[in-house]
Order: sequence, then C-alpha cells, then structure tokens
Amino acid sequence: MSAQDPQASPGGCDGNAAPYVLGSLTEEEHTQFVLHLESCAVCREEVASLQEVAQALPALAPLVQAPAELKDRIMATVRQEASLSAPAAHSTATARGRSTPAGSWLGWRPALAGAMLAGILVALVAVVLGSGGGGGQTRVIDAQVLAPRASAKLRVSEGHAELDVADMPQPTAGRVYEVWIVRAGTPQPTDALFTVSASGQATVGVPGSVSGVKEILVSSEPRGGSSSPTRAPVIVAHLS
Amino acid sequence: MTSMFKSTRATGGEDSPERLRVLADEELMQLVYTSRPDAFEVIYDRHADVAFSLAYRMCKQRALAEDVVQEAFLSLWRSRARYDGARGSVRTWLLGIVHNRAIDALRRRTVRDRGIVDGEGIEERVAAPERTDVEVARREEAREVRHALAQLPGEQSRVIELAYFGGLTHVQIAQMLDTPVGTIKGRMRLGLSKLRVTLGDPVEAVQ
Repeated sequence: MSAQDPQASPGGCDGNAAPYVLGSLTEEEHTQFVLHLESCAVCREEVASLQEVAQALPALAPLVQAPAELKDRIMATVRQEASLSAPAAHSTATARGRSTPAGSWLGWRPALAGAMLAGILVALVAVVLGSGGGGGQTRVIDAQVLAPRASAKLRVSEGHAELDVADMPQPTAGRVYEVWIVRAGTPQPTDALFTVSASGQATVGVPGSVSGVKEILVSSEPRGGSSSPTRAPVIVAHLS
Repeated sequence: MTSMFKSTRATGGEDSPERLRVLADEELMQLVYTSRPDAFEVIYDRHADVAFSLAYRMCKQRALAEDVVQEAFLSLWRSRARYDGARGSVRTWLLGIVHNRAIDALRRRTVRDRGIVDGEGIEERVAAPERTDVEVARREEAREVRHALAQLPGEQSRVIELAYFGGLTHVQIAQMLDTPVGTIKGRMRLGLSKLRVTLGDPVEAVQ
C-alpha cells in the first residue's frame, strides 16, 4: 500500500487482498502474499470477505454451451485413468481439511540427506532434452525417489510440468500423495493430490507455471492434503 | 457456497444414471473419490457450460477456452482426493481452477502472441437454453451480479473486470490506465466491498 494513498487498504499489508482474490497479483507477489497470509489474521479475514464476492463474478460471463466434443475428450481421459487407478482409500474420515504440520520443511533436510547417504534414494542421473508431443521442447527430468524400484520423471514444457511415476507403493491408509513446489526454500502446497494405480503408476499435472520453481516434491499427507508438509518427501525433482 | 442440488444419501455400488443425477455434488464427489467416471460425468454435465462460459469470457478464443476447461476438469478429477465440501462447493472449486488456468493461458499468450487482437469467435456465442430450474436460478444470479456491478463507479467496475476477466495484473492495469498502483488496488477493494453489500451481505461496505 502506498502510505499516501487514501483508497488503499488499512493495516500496512500492501492492500493485496483485493488483487489476490481477483487473481491480479504477479506470480512473485502471489507467492509472497500466500506466505504473508499464514501470519496475518487481518488479511486472512479480508481475503475471506472479498473472496465471496469474487466467487460470484463468473455469473457475469454470458452463458455459452460447452462443445459436445469437449466432453468426449475429457471423459475418454477420465475413463482411461479410472481403469488404471485403484480406488482411493475408502472414505472413513468426515473431515478432509488441511492438516496441521507436524514439522517444518527445514526439519526434513537432515532426514532427506541421511536417506540419500544411505543409498535409499535413487540418484538423479539425467536431464534429457526431447521433443514434446505438442511440438515444443520438453525437458525430462529424472526425479529422486525414496521407494526402492520406484521411478518418477518430470516433463517440463512451456513453463508447465507433469509428473509420471511408476512402481510407486500406494500411500498408507488415510493418506494421499501431495505435490509441492519450492521456489524460495519453502514448499508451497498445490491442489495436486493423487494415489497410484494397482501397478503403481500415476500421471499428475503440476498446477500453474513452474517458472522460477527450484524443486517439485511429493510427500505422503493425510487425505485432503496439508498446507505444510508433515512428512519428508518421497519424490524430489530438481528443476534448477 | 452451498450446492444448488437436492441432497440425497450416496450409497456404494453401481448406480443408474438417473439415480446419480439426483445426488448432490458433494455426494457425487464421494463416488468420484473412489474413481467412478459415471459420477464424474454427472459433475461434468452439471457444470461444463458455466465453466466453458467463464473460460470463453476470459480467453475470447474457443480453442483456448476448450483447453482451459479440459485442463480444469482433468485437474478436478486428478485432485479428487483434495475435495472438502466444508471449504466450498464443487462449482466454486471448479470455477476457481478455470479462472487460474485461464489466467495462466492469457499471460502465456500475452508473452508469446503480443499484438494479436482478441475477438475471434464472438459471433459463435450461443446462449444455452434454460433447461432446468437450476439454470433459471443461474440466470437470475447473473442478473443480480450485473446489476450490482452497474451500481459501481465506472473506475471501480473497470478495474475489477480487467483483473478478473482480463487476467491482467494490477501493475498492468495501472500502466494501462496511467494510474498509481495503490489507487488501482484501492479501487479493486472498494468495488468488491460495495458489491458485497449490494449482493446482500450484512457487512457494511468499506467507506
């Protein structure tokens, strides 16, 4: 917030709540504001208040029928993935809100380093440049995977990434795998939660742009996901 | 936001399409969570037009809007384990994904295809028929929101539309309007606060 600007938000928080709910912050500002929200109750309250209004704005879009062929494409993919996917854990929990982290990201590092020294992790061996299906250049990154025999590849194309895992064990009961992005040392949650098929396979899109992202992580989290990692990562892909 | 659909109890096992269609979104998501494509198809049928409408309003290109909606629904499917009805409706969650993906697409296009003028396919717009009470309710909601937006000073409604539908950052809007960034943020906040009051929230608008 500009101090001399009478229209800006009070509270010394840069007035970012409104542009945040409208999706109008820059990527860097968005990341910083999400971190800020964790410690600022005033901004959290303002965001919650304004978010309700922003959620009404799609009603302003003139109603247009979705093309029939779009449904065909989407449902074909869904049916194919469903046939490969084991059913997720049976629903026993009544609440699937974000869980409270049991430890900080910094606390993971020694454990992860130890695991790597013990040879549990498969080392990152290659970054391969190949041709993407869409004709653009795709970077394929072999990720480090904790589980023996499991593997994971991250395909990065035009600023977006998709993770392919194979031979991964199912997460334990009541848990799912959650994808995290790391830009400045702190992992940020994504809405990508997944389980794997009976043969241990899954393909997961990493939401948003990976521009500026240093690592993509996967950890086992309580069903519904966590806002901060509660366990050490089981997959680590280094982008830089 | 609560579901607009009648709530009945979801049960396991196979369901006929007719039975699935009377389930509330939250109950369908319980079935989707167990990797049921038939339940997901009902979710799709229920929300595809609204999702496509938002994407088309933002992207102004049919092909790009299709890509955005496809990404959004597949993200919803692949992230089904994250759904928590206590945190919002399926529709709100889906439209949030559509909005974010459309912003990504617009900002990528801005960099790659600078100079291309939007407007392709405007004439392709076809109003979906009012087939159900739910769609009638949506149209009524649209009228209310349009009316509320029309009550705002033009400078406030404009920045809200440029930000939400145009995918522009507040910095880009400030440059476009040759106005300080802080003023743009302030207009956004005041406009949203007034909309909240007009749309019936008991909390008073920020003065």
